[in-house]
Amino acid sequence: MRAGILRSPSPLPGFGLSFGIMVTVLSIVVLLPIGALLGRGLMIGPGDVWDMVNSRRIWSALTLSFRAALIASLFNLVFGLLLAWVLVRYRFWGRRLVDAAVDLPFALPTAVAGIALSALYAPNGVFGQALAPLGITVAYTELGIWVALVFIGFPFVVRTVQPVIEELEPDLEEVSATLGARRMYTLRRVILPTLTPALLTGFALALARSVGEYGSVIFIAGNIPNLTEIAPLLIVIRLEEYNYDAAAAIGIAMLVISFAMLLVINIIQTWSRRRIGLV
Amino acid sequence: MNIEIEDLAKEFGTTRALHPVSLFIPSGALVALLGPSGSGKTTLLRVLGGLEFPTSGRVLFGGQDATDLSVQERRAGFVFQSYALFKHMTVFENIAYGLRARPRKERPTEVEIGRRVDRLLDLIQLPDIGPRYPNQLSGGQRQRVALARALAIEPRMLLLDEPFGALDAKVRKELRQGLREIHDRTGLTTVFVTHDQEEAMELADLVVVMSMGRIEQVGKPADIRAKPASDFVREFTAA
Amino acid sequence: MSDNTLSRPVPVTTEPPVARAALIGLAILFVALFLFAPLVTVFAEALAEGWRGVRAALSLPDARAAIGMTLTIAAIAVPLNAVFGIAAAWAIAKFDFTGKAFLITLIDLPFSVSPVVAGLMLVLLFGANSTLGGWFIANDMPIVFAYPGILLATLFVTFPFVARELIPVMIEQGPAEEEAALTLGASGWRTFFTVTLPNIRWALLYGVLLCNARAMGEFGAVAVVSGKIRGETATMPTMVEMFYNEYLSVAAFSLAAVLAMLALLTLLLKSLLEWRHADLLAATRRH
Repeated sequence: MRAGILRSPSPLPGFGLSFGIMVTVLSIVVLLPIGALLGRGLMIGPGDVWDMVNSRRIWSALTLSFRAALIASLFNLVFGLLLAWVLVRYRFWGRRLVDAAVDLPFALPTAVAGIALSALYAPNGVFGQALAPLGITVAYTELGIWVALVFIGFPFVVRTVQPVIEELEPDLEEVSATLGARRMYTLRRVILPTLTPALLTGFALALARSVGEYGSVIFIAGNIPNLTEIAPLLIVIRLEEYNYDAAAAIGIAMLVISFAMLLVINIIQTWSRRRIGLV
Repeated sequence: MNIEIEDLAKEFGTTRALHPVSLFIPSGALVALLGPSGSGKTTLLRVLGGLEFPTSGRVLFGGQDATDLSVQERRAGFVFQSYALFKHMTVFENIAYGLRARPRKERPTEVEIGRRVDRLLDLIQLPDIGPRYPNQLSGGQRQRVALARALAIEPRMLLLDEPFGALDAKVRKELRQGLREIHDRTGLTTVFVTHDQEEAMELADLVVVMSMGRIEQVGKPADIRAKPASDFVREFTAA
Repeated sequence: MSDNTLSRPVPVTTEPPVARAALIGLAILFVALFLFAPLVTVFAEALAEGWRGVRAALSLPDARAAIGMTLTIAAIAVPLNAVFGIAAAWAIAKFDFTGKAFLITLIDLPFSVSPVVAGLMLVLLFGANSTLGGWFIANDMPIVFAYPGILLATLFVTFPFVARELIPVMIEQGPAEEEAALTLGASGWRTFFTVTLPNIRWALLYGVLLCNARAMGEFGAVAVVSGKIRGETATMPTMVEMFYNEYLSVAAFSLAAVLAMLALLTLLLKSLLEWRHADLLAATRRH
């Protein structure tokens, strides 16, 4: 079974067994389903897939998913950096609580987050009522989608940047000060460039997660076609109509977007490792 | 510029890193702060550089009180043991950093910055490494770049923390000579920290032996060898 | 200047006190508005009709069935993923072979796929009008809109959790200890249970914890695959949706509150692990 795998000799046993389990499970759980989707695409034919995706409603949904994810991830980039910095550098009452709370979006099921945000921002909800006099409507608008995606993507930037800030050598900031640089200049010219690779990685991860997000969004979005209807929802709708080909076409479009982003993440990581030697 | 240290003490919480110490460093001297780890030598250097603030006592630069001068205002060229080069900048950008960090009014023109960086690269005898990144340099080259970067701000003094600590024995010897030459060329008051008595004796005009946060003895290398002031100094400077 | 202690410069590697206070305030405000507020809302809405409402909601047969469903799925999916994670980490961390980087990318793949797309894939693969699906149905083992489909969907979305927690830890530990055990005459399994497993147990627990949280909470993929048949294939999160869409607010939020309690428990255990055993966990984490 090891034929075809170029393996350096090792005295440890169990390669065949562990490799076998890994490849088998990987194939059944991940590769076979992905193959099924891509295979469906080939059966339909690339031209027909394109034709099916090329409608106003689907384009609106895809651009909405991508645009909202981009905006939410940019927001998270700024606040994620802020949180990571505050958590590593400052000592204050409740710091550990805040630190633990950052992971809440990872632990809380998305459907729960969805109905909670919806209740909170609905016209009769606590935040909804508070924002109404300001003329801001969050629920059932694109703004609501942003809020949900901010919630979902928030931990990614914090958790990617935090370990890098922890490992910053104080020497760098000190030497910058001895050279006459003010604190802002040091933050901008020394700290920020050092954190940039990690920031980009966290941003890309948040983006990848947000583009495909479903559970937290559908309750607050209102789901109006062409306006607040996200791409994953459109897949669900097509599936409920038993229109599998149309669902597969949208799915393939989203898969292409996801893979493109995965590629970007990998390129960023390789680049940053070569350039600065840390991620 | 001479440096006066008057009854300087530094406490970190309950531990005393420096008992009140006093010291006079004449202008243009090359001084070694010599002692084992935990002797307070690095703390003293960091207080001079403005990286730590003393619990009590004063520091005077050229007769002027500098105790509360912020690190940016001190203009003390500081070289770290790790060199602390900015990895995301080229050697040129590293050296130019202090000039570019100045407020716009005092900032030299780009042409002037380029000229100064080139001159410093000549001084450290590495004229061609401007476009390289720190990752591409040897340990000895990094140390000299760190030195050039500290010199770029036209410092009033040069402070070096274990400048040869991270280098192997052969490179160490070469760079000692290099530091001596740069000191003689610039005439800057220079203070360096070391735990290596041979290095201190060979390189410095004046050696300050420290132990447990106190100054044990100040003197020329030959005098310290000939007349050690305490058992500690005798043992520490032996061989 | 020296006589005025207020003018003492701040330490060089931090921001001025005013800036620090402002940043801390902003951070706490953000966490309170964006993270705590939704969490509090879940419990507040669940208790809108008092404890009695919660108790009544949780004793609804549909709610009961959903809780049972979710617990069963997690009880099967998490151990399966743990076995996979250990096997993958063992093969990747202890051996050198070509194509390793590619395999790691494949293991990470499910993180980048929308849960809904994951569900869609399973429907296409095992649905009634596919060859494979037709065969399974003919043999009385339907996968989509049935139990196995939910399990596969859960396995897909939780796939990388254990493996990616273990791989860096095992790479860092290297093969030296296992090799030593072998030279002392231990068998392969004995080496694994007495040397490897104790070394990775905290990282394993950490991965299992995250895997479990996601397994119980998965919505998109399961919603697509399960068909959301009440009392049969509805899990807790999909039942939350159905209650909510039927305007059974207290029922929806009561079930949601149970999930939120599980999330809080997960966070608590996770934090404890991080504080106690930080050195034995992977240094950098992505989820």
